[in-house]
This record gives sequence, C-alpha cells and structure tokens, in this order.
Amino acid sequence: MKAFEYVGASSADQAVKALSSGAVVMSGGTDLINRMKDYVTSPARVVNLSDAKDLAGISGDAASGVTILAGTRLADVLASDIIKKAFPALWQTTSEVGTPQIRNMASVGGNLMQHPRCWYYRSGFGLVPKSADGKHMLREGDNRYAAIFMTDGDALYAHPSSLAIPLIALGARATLVGPDGERTIALADLYKVPTSNEDSPFAAKAGEILKSISIPAAAGKNGSYEARHKQAHDWPLVLASVNLTMSGDTVSDATVVVYGVAPVPWRSKAAEEAIKGKAVTIESAKAAGAAAAQGAKPLSMNGYKVALLKTVVARALCVTVGNRYWEA
Amino acid sequence: MRENDPNQNSSRRDFLRGSSVAAATAVLSQTAQAAAEEANAEALALQELPVATGTVKVTLQVNGKPMTTEIEPRSTLLDVLRHRLEVTGPKRVCDRASCGACTVMLNGQSVYSCTSLAIAAQGKEIRTLESFDTGPNGVPHAFHQNDGLMCGYCTPGFVTACQALLEKNPNPTLEEVRRGLDGNICRCGTYVGVVKAALEAAKAIKV
Amino acid sequence: MAANSWPEKTRIINTRYPRLDGLAKASGRAKYPSDEKPEGTLFGVVLYSPHAHVKIKSLDSSAAEKLPGVKAIEVIAGPGKTLRYHGDDIAIVVAETEEQARDGARAIKIDYEFLPHAATESQAMAENAPQIVNGGNVRKGRAQTTGKPDDALKAADAVVEGTYFAPVITHVCLEPHGLTARWDDKNHITAWASTQSVMATANELAESNELPVSNVTVLTEVMGGGFGSKFGADIWGTTAARISKKVGGRPVKIFLDRAQEHLAGGNRPSVLAKVKIAGTKDGKITSLVAETFGTGGVARGAQFPLPYVYSIANFKREHSDVFVNGGNARAMRAPGHPQGCLVMESALDDLAAKLGVDPLAMRRANLAPNDFRTPIYLNEMEIGAELIGWKANYKPRGSQTGVVRRGMGVALHQWGGGGANDKQVSCTIFPDGTIELKSATQDIGTAIRTVLAMIAAEVFGLKPTDIKSNIGNSTFPPGQSSGGSTTTPSMSPPCYNACLDARDELFKKIAPGLPGNPAASDLSLADGQLLVKGQPAMSFKEACRKIGMNPISVIGKSSQGLASNGVAGVQFVDLSVDTETGAVKLHKIVAVQDSGLIIDKLTWESQVFGGVIGGLNYGLFEERVVDPVSGRMLNPDMELYQLAGASDIPEIICHAYEPDDQKKRGVIGIGEPPTIGTAAAIGNAVANAIGVRVPHFPMTPMNILNALAKEGKA
Repeated sequence: MKAFEYVGASSADQAVKALSSGAVVMSGGTDLINRMKDYVTSPARVVNLSDAKDLAGISGDAASGVTILAGTRLADVLASDIIKKAFPALWQTTSEVGTPQIRNMASVGGNLMQHPRCWYYRSGFGLVPKSADGKHMLREGDNRYAAIFMTDGDALYAHPSSLAIPLIALGARATLVGPDGERTIALADLYKVPTSNEDSPFAAKAGEILKSISIPAAAGKNGSYEARHKQAHDWPLVLASVNLTMSGDTVSDATVVVYGVAPVPWRSKAAEEAIKGKAVTIESAKAAGAAAAQGAKPLSMNGYKVALLKTVVARALCVTVGNRYWEA
Repeated sequence: MRENDPNQNSSRRDFLRGSSVAAATAVLSQTAQAAAEEANAEALALQELPVATGTVKVTLQVNGKPMTTEIEPRSTLLDVLRHRLEVTGPKRVCDRASCGACTVMLNGQSVYSCTSLAIAAQGKEIRTLESFDTGPNGVPHAFHQNDGLMCGYCTPGFVTACQALLEKNPNPTLEEVRRGLDGNICRCGTYVGVVKAALEAAKAIKV
Repeated sequence: MAANSWPEKTRIINTRYPRLDGLAKASGRAKYPSDEKPEGTLFGVVLYSPHAHVKIKSLDSSAAEKLPGVKAIEVIAGPGKTLRYHGDDIAIVVAETEEQARDGARAIKIDYEFLPHAATESQAMAENAPQIVNGGNVRKGRAQTTGKPDDALKAADAVVEGTYFAPVITHVCLEPHGLTARWDDKNHITAWASTQSVMATANELAESNELPVSNVTVLTEVMGGGFGSKFGADIWGTTAARISKKVGGRPVKIFLDRAQEHLAGGNRPSVLAKVKIAGTKDGKITSLVAETFGTGGVARGAQFPLPYVYSIANFKREHSDVFVNGGNARAMRAPGHPQGCLVMESALDDLAAKLGVDPLAMRRANLAPNDFRTPIYLNEMEIGAELIGWKANYKPRGSQTGVVRRGMGVALHQWGGGGANDKQVSCTIFPDGTIELKSATQDIGTAIRTVLAMIAAEVFGLKPTDIKSNIGNSTFPPGQSSGGSTTTPSMSPPCYNACLDARDELFKKIAPGLPGNPAASDLSLADGQLLVKGQPAMSFKEACRKIGMNPISVIGKSSQGLASNGVAGVQFVDLSVDTETGAVKLHKIVAVQDSGLIIDKLTWESQVFGGVIGGLNYGLFEERVVDPVSGRMLNPDMELYQLAGASDIPEIICHAYEPDDQKKRGVIGIGEPPTIGTAAAIGNAVANAIGVRVPHFPMTPMNILNALAKEGKA
C-alpha cells in the first residue's frame, strides 16, 4: 500500500469537499484497502465516510418505499424488519454477502461501488486485461468466473455487486451528491461498461459520492436465489433476483436481474417476457430460465454458467411463490 | 514528513488545488475534475478539513486502556496492534479480509483488523481476545477443553468471532454458530472442536 | 533400564486430556515466532518475481536505499539470473517499519528479459512447448511392470478407461514461513522461527553464517502450522540472519506475505492419470495400466504410489514428472498418498460400477491376503459401513433420480508413521518437586508437548499440568523433526525411559533415608504421593526434598517395543449433489483409523478430524489456479483459493480402531493417515450420486456440471 493522506469526514458535505484530484472515498474499506494493498488503486488521499452521521440509516416503510443511506452497514440492513418482510430479495442476498465481519464493516454504498473481483484486474492487468502481444487475457486465459453475455466486447469480467441485483430488480434509484448538488438516477444507470483500462465502470461524475438508495413501495412478490460453491464465505457464481407484479396467481409484470453473467447487472428481458401472463410453476419458471440463457456466448471455460443461469432464474421465480422444489 | 494529529485539532488548511497526482478512483473521472475544482475552489478554501498525512500520533482505546503511538494513515489496525502496541493476540494470515485470524471487536462488532485503518479506529472501543474472561465461564476455556485448536494460529480469530456472536445471540443454534463463525478459516481443521466449544461457551457464559 | 512395553493399566495415557498450551493459545497469550519482536527489531520484506519466467537484465536499488527507514538491501537474484516462477525471490529489503520495507521493495528498479513460459501442465506437455529447463519439461521415469498387464486386459470381464486429475494445492500454513534472527554478540545467533525442525533450522543458520551450531539457538515455543513445508530456515531465514549481522545485531524479522506463501512456500504436486483397469465378475482386479503425470514445479517430486493399498497381479505404470514455471513442491501431509489414493480408488470404483459389484465387496476382494493390514481394513470397513449406514442407504451408481441425488463413497488408505530411534528426552527432578522434560522437538499443533507431559505424569503419579514439558529449543537434547507422523513415535519412547530412569534414581536416592529402611523396589508413586509398600508415606514434593541440593537429571533414549509403524484406515462419505447447480452438500463423513496405542485420545481425535477436513478441502475446494497467458498464479489469497469454513463441515464421526492387539503395538503417528482417503471417498460419492465420474478434482459446480454435460445428463 502506498502512503496517502487521510480525511475522516464527519458529513457527506465535508466528504464532497475533501474529494480532490487523486482522492478516493472509503466506506467499510473491505474492497478499497485490499486494492490499495495490491497496488491496484493507489490514491493520494483517502476520504473516510464511515463515520459520517448523515450517511447511515434506513427510513420509510413498505407502503411508501424505503431509503437506505449509502453508509448503512449490511448488518443493519439485515436487522431491518421492514426489509426482511417487504423486500426478501434484498434481505436474502444481503445475508449471503461475505461473512459476519464483512457485514459488520461493509456498507450498502461500498457494496454497490466495489470494483470487480476479476483476478486479472486484481493482479494489476486492468479491467480490460491485455498481454504484451495483444491477447485478451480473460478471453485466452482462465475465465471460469467471467461473463457469458456481452462477450463480443472487451469487458469480460462479471459484475461484482450482489446487492445491485435485488436493488435493480426492485426498481431502486441512486442519489449522488457532488459539488453541483444532488441528482437521482436509476441504480442500473450507475454502471457502465469500460472499453479500456483508463475507463471507469461507474457513471458517477467527478467528485460525486453515492448518498442513498431509494426502493419504491413494495408491490407483488420478490425473491432471490444464489448458486455458489462454498457455503461459508464465497461469492455467488450466479445470482438472480426477481420482482413480480401479480394479478391473482398470474404474473402481470416482472423484472429479472442476474449476477455473474455480464460486466453489469444483467437484466433479462427474455426471462421477464417468458414469465409474464403466467402463473409461476416449476415448468413456467424453467421456461423463463431457458429464455434467460438465449443469446449467451460463454467463453472457453464458463459454459457451465449457462446451466447455472437457467437454474438460478427458475429458482428465484419459484422462491417468490414459496416453491423450493429442489429441497423436496 | 509532516506531522499531524487530528485529535489535537492541528489540521493544516487544505485548499485541494494543485494536486497533480493521477486519479485512481471510481467516483472521480479525470475529464470533469478540473472544472469541478474550479467551481468549488472558493467555497473549499473556507473549509478546514481534518487531513492527516505523513506520520501521525494516535491514541487507541485497546482493552480499556488508552495506547498512544505514531503511525502512518496507511497502517492497518492489525499491524499497529501487533507491531507498535505489543498486542499480538490477533494474527496476520490472509491480510485481505478473508480468513478472520485478525478479528477484533470494534465498538462491539467483530471486524477484520487487517482491513481496517488504525487511524479510523480512534475514538472507538477496541477489544481483543486478551481481554476476555479466561475462567471456566469464558470462551477461551471452552476452546481449550474441547480442543477447538491445534496449531492455534487461527484460534484468536475464532475465539473473538465466537465472543462477538454470543454477545449478540446468547442462545445460538448449531446452524447459527456455524454461520457466525463463517468469517474464519482454520487450516488444521479444528472446526468440530470449535463448534462444540462455541455451543458449550454459550451455556457456560450464563452460569 | 529401558522399557520394552507400556504399562498394562494406565491412568493418564490413553485418556482424553486437553493440551497444556490450549488456554494460552485460546486467550491470545501464546507467543508465536511471528509475534516476537525483540527490542530494536527491523522488518524485512521479500521482493519476488511478478513474472513466470524472466531473466534479470539490470537491477538498481539505489533509489530504494535512499528511502526513509531503509537499513539494508540484500539481492538474492541479480543481473543475469533467471527467475523461474511467479514468486521466485529477487531481494530482501529491511527497514525500520514494515511499510517502509515494502516501499523499499517497490522502489527497486528491474529490467527483465521475458522468456517463454510453460506455467501449466498442459503448456509444459504441449508439442511445441518452450523447454524451460535443460533436459526437457517432461521427465519420463522407467516403466514398472509386474505380470502381464496387456494380456490380462484382454482376458478381463470388464475394462474401464479413465482419466483422473487433481490440481496443485498449496500448504496455506496460517503462520507464514519466516523467522526473526538476532546476533546476540559477535558469535551467537538467536532465532525465533516458525519451523517444523528447530534443529535443522539451527544447522542451516549456523552453516550459512559460519558459526558452530552450538552458538545458534532456535526457539519455537509454538508455531502456526507447517504441514510438511517448514523444515528449515529457507533463504528468507538465512538472509535475515546475515542482514542482522550487517546492521550490528539488530533483530531482523522476515515472514512471507500470503501471496508468496502460496507461490514459494511449497505445494502438493498435481496428478494426471490415464488409467485402464480390468477385472472379473467376482470383483477381482486383474490388470492396471497407468500413465501418470504430475508437476512439482521446476523440479521433480510429483511421484506417488500406484497401485495403492490393493494387491494387483498385473500392472504397468509409467510416471513422468512435468516441469512448469511454478513454485516447487514440498512434502505436504502424507506426500504422494492422497494422489495415489485418489487415482486408485476412483479407478477401482469405476470398475466396480461397470462390473456391477458392490464397492465394499470389490475392495475386500482385492486386499493382499498376507498383509498385516488386511484384517485391520476388513474390521474397519465393517465398523465404518455400520456408522455411515451403508446397508440402509447405499444404492448402486446411476440408480438415483431427482434433482438432488444422494451418494455414498468409500476409500482405503495406508501410512507408515513409525519413529526414529535416535532421539532423546531429558527428565529432571528438582528438589522442590518440579519435573522438567526437555527435547529439541516442536509442537506443530499435534500436542506433542502434552503427550510428553502425559507420559511423565503417568510415571510420576502426577497430573500432566504438574509437568514442565519444554520443547522448541534447538539446544535441548536432540528431538525429532515434525514430519511424516514420526514425532510421537520418536519422542514417546525416550520420554518414557527418561521418566522411568529418573524415578528409579529418585527411589534409590531416598529409600535409605526413609523410616524402616525400605528397599528402592518397595517404593512407588501414585496420586501425588510416595508409597512405601503400597502405603502412602508422604507427598511427592516431600519425597523430592529428600534428594538434597542436586536435581536428578536423566537423558532417556529410545528402546524397542514402545513404538511401531504401519497403519490402515477407511473413510466413508455420505453426500448429495444438486444436479442443476453442481453443488455438493456433505451429510456425514466417517473415519475409522488405527494407530497403535493412543496417548492422548482428545488431541488424537482432533488430528483425525483435521486430516478429514484437509482431505475435504482437497476433494471439494482447493486449486492453485495458474494463468496460462501470464504464467501467474491468479488466486494467491484465501478467498478465491478456497478453503472450507464452518458451514462447509458436515457431521464427522471419528472412530479409533484400537483393540488390545493394536494397543500392544505401541505408539504410531497419526498426522498423515486420516487426510489421505477423504478426497477419494468424496469423488466416489459424487460419482455414486450422479451416475457419472467427475474426472477433475476438486468437486466444484463447474467440474460437476461439465461432467454432467459431457455425458448428456445435465
């Protein structure tokens, strides 16, 4: 880790003021400190938001929607009865992030703004890792954890934020605050696909920090399902969150978002179309899962993710109607 | 190196201009950065920011005692405990927030001290396992009696994670014990004894 | 007089006793070598190669030398030197703080000439592979042939061809390799080392610093895991000592970072086996033809035993060591055996499935008729089958249906585990009743400190906590290096003899002064009392006071009959596989294990649990992932290098197989055997569940889903 200067910000306002060129913000630190240790990120200044009082807390309710301030710890999300009852997709996914220690440290904002876990990126080769002779390292190398969609492009890693998946499925919006004041965008629009190593995977503007996430009023059913390797500390291989508007037993509208398959949280319109107008049954869910896999172009090693994608989308749908057929 | 002690309110004025270091951040893009600085220069000039740089004198509350030492802002809490304060219970193993050997309690919450900055731990209550009850009702005793350790290098982290779990949840189920200890890794493979110890400690603490 | 058997009836030996240093370890008070920071300590950081294969064209450390706090830079590989793997040593920088030493290491400027690399087995074995060492990448050993394997293949009722692969895994000792070395004066070094051999480390430090070994003291009070990878000072330790001299004797502390620990701290070689196995309807294996490969880095060392456990009349085996640009292998918990077991047990199971023979019957049919282990295996299989519920729950391979399918698997293993007969333990009885044991062995987590104290407590009629059991000091009487499950069988006999001799000398010395002038042979010790003709006469402490000023000190040596070698062992696994996600859920593992006379049943059991969990990691999680493009290891961490956490551990039943005839064999080591068979049994249980062999370990969702897809069953 290179030396840096440190600002312990006591408020969002102060943090914004402290963000000079070469500065980065730190919340829980679980991602940033590791990147600094690996010399992947070497900021001149670290602005710590974790003690900013106006950046932590959860307000609202199921009927009017909920606002989660970006500095809220994952452990506090899990302690929220409102989230547990109204937004099980978010609660379930949060409970599967990291470890007890990480959930005590990491914040919602930090999870959403973490950098990709891609092992080429963490080895110092950048988000679009190319070898000296021009080979795309992730395309030619070990891509078992990489994307299976958008693989014609150059960003081949899988997006790292688990929480973005249920939040986008739930229609969350992100409020950013910067030198020009606040603005609110769809959470999905916070992310972009970098085309070079100089490019950012985030759409935030200069000097902006993520201030809060708002989830609209709960309607219908939502749920998440995650496939992973270890039961203890691990990352999802593929994770899906669904948010369904129901008329009776029939799905009238659906949002399906998937982790682990693209360099951004992957919205599967095909799966959404497939389940609309149907009751959620094992059969209709599996058909939606199959639809989700349409157009996937896996890399040399990650064809298995196509099978996982089908299953995970199907199971996320089944979870929302309380059908855990695989446990029977 | 410049000296600075945020505790003593001797922060230098920071005008946030003239820095030529390349941005390596997600939230700042180089292109728009200059404009943003210009627009805010005046307002920012009026602000005092608690900037710590170079070598910093800090006081940490460790196991109920104030401990003062000189650190750099980049020094991790773990390294400061081990290298400067002679608190060597927490261990450095993965050094990347994965294995839990460095676990300490910060304001009552278990955290990875390898991935916490010491400078950010000022004013917080830091507890390491050296402060735990070593008597028959304590967590260390239960680990000892159930042989929840072998080489013992992961053990401080497990004991601390267990203490933190039991302070939050005094009556954990087997499943909750396992989940509560999932932030720690043992290479000798002592999990059977560890889980037994945690369940037994839960009973003993209440005695 | 040296004993040749253990006492018939024991009070302490063969009971469950918590380890003596357990509370110190569990309360953060035990000081590990990496916790030691003697006054004036400087921190060393190793700069290592970020590339798989390069030549150093130039190296400039001038900027680094000028950085604040930097005290010394020692170049290990200078210009002209070739670095053969990611993690290969370049230089060591020593500074006042660790942060400064890291800055120093980063400031060393190096120009590299890039050489073509072969970092994975397939790269190294490819037709046009760059040859990374003189003599070629693939070193074919001589074929071993017994009987007529090719003829037997033709004559068999069934032949199975299989390919089995398990990747390189690393030791992941939690305390990294390293030591703190201090020149105490012009002629003496003290080192606090995380080592499995204080004596070997002292020898290396003495030799590399041109001192008599008697001037070097290596201390290892406790240490944080070795698993076979920590038998010396290594270049990091000898360099630390050299730098300490250079900086006027200030202690220099060098412990590897986690990444280099993976890269250069040792590993278990990979295994790739192409096997033909054949047998008859009655379950007899008639032929085994195997072409095997493995990599131990830029060196040999990937050999492993095959055939394994079973007696096969006709076999042919060709093994090749494959050299890659990767860190070199070191002995790792039962070196070679997990690989041999995995290949043998997988192939046997696949043949059993094809023949339609019950896997247990198949194993019984192929044990060597005259091997002393055979009856042990047969008994252990019966016990294990009962404990796992084989009869009730086993179904033939491929007969399971549904999304989640249950499977059971079994594997047999073996190990030597005998001791050395040239080790010593001193036993001193002090006039105040203190009993002190000393030996230059060390406790790597096996509880040898406690085992020695239990033996002494048995002899002196005391509690183990009454005994000062001092080890981990290279100047003590010669003790065993801790490897190969040899420590307990090496150290228990000399300890027992030392205690018996010291006790007898005590009796001889005090008998004449006791009322009634009893003979020494009238005296005995029990429950902290001296007994005269069976009657309590005084406390042990009072008795000791009668020896006068001089302590009684005896050095005990080994003797026949107290230790033995050669163990069997059987493990069973019950699990489920989710065929839609490739996720494995372990339900239960049963380990039935013999190891002669068990001294401490509590810590013995921990060793077995630990072995099983190590094998579980090998079976389900561990893999050194190397990038073919850059030749770098991609997961030198403890996150993407996966290791089980608490939620990954199923119910584990540990059954000690110790009938009287086993106890009579004396002490045998237990560190290695229980880790051998677990991965093989897991692989077999997965195949049993899903009806398809998953040829690639570990059993990840990727490998399982790929195997299912290949067979068209996904």
